[in-house]
Amino acid sequence: MKRSLLPILCCPVCKGDLELRVAEEKDDEIIEGALFCGACEVEYPIREGIPNLLPPTDQD
Amino acid sequence: MPLFSRSPEDQVYQPAEDTFLLRDAALAEVRSDDRVLEVGCGSGTVIAALRERAAAVVATDINPHAVRAGREQGVETVRTDLFAGLRGPFDLVLFNPPYLPTLPEERIDDWLEYALDGGPTGRATIERFAEEVGRVLAPFGRVLLLVSSLTGVDEVRKLFADLGYIVILVAEERVEDEDLVVLRIGRDLCRLTG
Repeated sequence: MKRSLLPILCCPVCKGDLELRVAEEKDDEIIEGALFCGACEVEYPIREGIPNLLPPTDQD
Repeated sequence: MPLFSRSPEDQVYQPAEDTFLLRDAALAEVRSDDRVLEVGCGSGTVIAALRERAAAVVATDINPHAVRAGREQGVETVRTDLFAGLRGPFDLVLFNPPYLPTLPEERIDDWLEYALDGGPTGRATIERFAEEVGRVLAPFGRVLLLVSSLTGVDEVRKLFADLGYIVILVAEERVEDEDLVVLRIGRDLCRLTG
């Protein structure tokens, strides 16, 4: 995902802001990392460039 | 073929008549300054066609194979249920929902099921979408929704009308024993004040 996507994302549960945590960035794209919801204290993974915003109970 | 050996393509809804009807309606509707969201993008065929025609495009799917397929077409994708992890606002929201009436005993448990199963009435996912889409839709935003006669076009129109939306039919096509339509749904602007 590109950084420009961040403002239109939210926590799928509380709809609050997410904090971007970058592990690997390539050509303006975040390939590996996470989106953290401080209110819910849940980290949503970004893998292979795709954020996974399924609530923790629905993650496979 | 055992389920575990299915290729990713077999787990993603492949483009069919409904896909192309929604894509063509979207190409006719889209404006160059639109921020576009496709919910349940499947193969990514519809949203990829709008990439060069809109200010920004993004797509979601709950199916991990589908979000990968969309990304391979150069579209930003997010794995989430409908638009649960999105804030918007979007000027144009596209949705070809799972709409086949499906009884619990008819269900098969795999990713393609999510693309097809509309619950006993065929409207289970459409009802959730209708209740929540206002959260991500810009004030003057429009929704293009694909609906089949199998799902009940009048029932879907009434569902949105009861929530205060104006519904217009913008495309239709007969495919075998099914009528496919695209509904254009927007807020009733007379009710926006107050």
